[in-house]
Amino acid sequence: MGVFDMLAISASALSAERQRAEVTSANLANAETTRTEAGGPYVRKEVVFGSSSSSPFRTVLNQTGRFAHAPAGTVELKQVINDTTPPVKRYEPGNPDADEGGFVEYPSINPVSEMVDLMSAVRAYQLNASAVTAAKQMIQQSIDILKTT
Amino acid sequence: MITTTPIMQMLQGYLKVTSDRQQIITSNIANVDTPGYHTKDLDFQTAMQQAMGEGSRLQLQPASTTVDNLPERPDGNNVNVDRESMLLGQTQLQYQMGVQLIKSEFHRLLSAIKEGS
Repeated sequence: MGVFDMLAISASALSAERQRAEVTSANLANAETTRTEAGGPYVRKEVVFGSSSSSPFRTVLNQTGRFAHAPAGTVELKQVINDTTPPVKRYEPGNPDADEGGFVEYPSINPVSEMVDLMSAVRAYQLNASAVTAAKQMIQQSIDILKTT
Repeated sequence: MITTTPIMQMLQGYLKVTSDRQQIITSNIANVDTPGYHTKDLDFQTAMQQAMGEGSRLQLQPASTTVDNLPERPDGNNVNVDRESMLLGQTQLQYQMGVQLIKSEFHRLLSAIKEGS
């Protein structure tokens, strides 16, 4: 444990929240996408976060200082899962992606809930950025002990 | 650990405990969106005893405890953002106090070396 571990923890959270914002932005951008490489409409993505815990062995290994390991309590993006909600069908017979009945499959994306998700990611990012500021000030104060007055 | 005065040794332990606590609070903030994560905290008395008394003994785990009396969200996470940001500021000020006390202790030492001039 050290002051610099705080920066590593906050950095992991900043990265995770940024990736979450990216996935949410991709959902918003592809709200009307009917054609993908895999075929069919775009599938809404969602992120799953996980927390890393520390074993006693890992703690002792870290204390030797020879192996650079992430400190306990960091957050990481475990996986990006596909939403299993079936696509929404709209009657558009003129659309080239329409089936025999004239229906086009659109991804079931609700822009409002995506915006709420995006805002939540941005707020969490802000909170972690202020934690970085706090850690930096603490490091600066420790350096100030060295300054002779 | 060689320290000049007993006060210095105590302040060293105090700084270690506050920075450990700050790290735990930082990790709570980092896990604000992790499903199933429970808020962790440091018991000051136990941590201070560990930092002071058994400084030479190898510490396997920091004296962190899980806080369970906070309301839990449906995804099993009970991190309260207000509590954590309040504690972040509080611990930062505590750390600053420890640093200022160490500085004043060094200042006293310097003044003794200079024979009070």
